[in-house]
Amino acid sequence: MTEERKSLVFSSPPDDVDAVHEFLETVWQANPEVSEFDRMAFETALIELASNVIQHASGDGGVTCVLSVTADEQGLAASLTDTADAGGIVLMNREMPDELSESGRGIALIQALVDDLRYERVEERNVWTISRARESGDD
Amino acid sequence: MEFQTESIGDDIAVIRGDGRLNMVSGPELRDTVKRAIDRGLVRVVVDLSGVQFMDSSGLGALIASLKSARESKGDLRIASPSKQVSMVLKLSNVDSILTPFGSVEEAYRD
Repeated sequence: MTEERKSLVFSSPPDDVDAVHEFLETVWQANPEVSEFDRMAFETALIELASNVIQHASGDGGVTCVLSVTADEQGLAASLTDTADAGGIVLMNREMPDELSESGRGIALIQALVDDLRYERVEERNVWTISRARESGDD
Repeated sequence: MEFQTESIGDDIAVIRGDGRLNMVSGPELRDTVKRAIDRGLVRVVVDLSGVQFMDSSGLGALIASLKSARESKGDLRIASPSKQVSMVLKLSNVDSILTPFGSVEEAYRD
């Protein structure tokens, strides 16, 4: 498979996570060899990340994000750069909350679905990266 | 996403929607369930067969709705989740309070 890298710029408001879903649809169409489970797991993790960024910035007049996704032999990777203030989202190892809790599962879900989740503050931007290795062929 | 409510008998509401259950549609689901409960339809079945994707905000809306139904001496059950929805339910350890049923009929049978 040839490496495929695609990018999307979105601002919330007015955009919401549907913009990310629609963008990913084009990634999956360009990379039909990515397994259904890898697509499902990666899309869920990326949507949780984007939702977190949008939600935490909603009180501060919104946010602009640049998202790029790479699919290659190793797996799937995404980088999401946003214009929000630093420190809005705490990554640390988050555990799944109590079953009747109505929130607080997003980061724990991301951690369960990707191999690597990182955060850096670069030139007044938040840069989030996630990556997931391809599912091995034998299972 | 728009949700439709169908009443069965005196106290059962079957709620259906097509699309993604997330931070945008979650509050709409909560409002739809609340309106059903206010009408006395306290045994709520959410038919997820048209929901191809759910994130943790959507799950939070289901749990909030479940709590509302229980407060009114009712219950909330879910039917026909997609693979992605089942994955999120499993990873979130909520199987014991939101056990998926294979169909709407199975969900409200007892």
